[in-house]
Amino acid sequence: MANHAVTILVVLSIILIGLLILRPSLTAVTGGKILAFIALFILPISALGLGSVAHLQHATSTSFCLSCHTMEAYGQSLRIDDPSYIPASHFQNNRISRNEACYTCHTNYAMFGGLKAKLGGLKHLYIYYFGTVPEKIALYEPYNNRECLHCHASARAFEESSPHKEMRDQLGSNEMSCLTCHNKIHDVQNAGQLKFWKGP
Amino acid sequence: MAENSPKLQQRLKIAAYLLIAGLVLEAITLYWSSPLSFILFAAGAGTLMALGIIVYLIAIAAA
Repeated sequence: MANHAVTILVVLSIILIGLLILRPSLTAVTGGKILAFIALFILPISALGLGSVAHLQHATSTSFCLSCHTMEAYGQSLRIDDPSYIPASHFQNNRISRNEACYTCHTNYAMFGGLKAKLGGLKHLYIYYFGTVPEKIALYEPYNNRECLHCHASARAFEESSPHKEMRDQLGSNEMSCLTCHNKIHDVQNAGQLKFWKGP
Repeated sequence: MAENSPKLQQRLKIAAYLLIAGLVLEAITLYWSSPLSFILFAAGAGTLMALGIIVYLIAIAAA
């Protein structure tokens, strides 16, 4: 949707700017000056702003993340044929949006987070194209329980089950990580030994 | 009817061409979902459009 809005704005801008190139004498009169101000200042700035929003929206898509070769194994791990693997069971059972699979759980990483995270994302890009990608990739900070709780908190199956209800405060304050027990995540090192689901 | 000076018209044309180039690049990057397309948008389209706007502002300020 954002793409279409920006495209319309871009096309409109190009048409108006083209008009000014073909009929430069238009800018000699007041109306033409206003048109030039809109075409050469207002519309381009609006197009840049909306374009930025559209690009940030794209950055939340699974295909965006997996467009880097380094992420191939992580994308594959979403199809591990074993329900004890957290990302795989969430992805295969539509517990998260397949189109925003990575973003749903990694909401403050690289492009998605604040300025510090975004600068980190640009660093990844630099390393990917000009540097050497490390063999082992790791998060910069321990995984925050917030990423689990933004869906699971207040869900009955979570709040009323043991041992969650006994350690609810510790989970809420990140004193204990959800991954302490739910520790089968991407497991890319063992990808060669696992079976994969061939579903849609 | 007052006429624009040739210098003003030339600067407006340069601004227009820079902005068109930036807008076309932006449109292309919108339909390509990849970190590289974001870089092309920010560094390429953004730079071209910023230059176009600056040239336009200089043109009207100097007129």
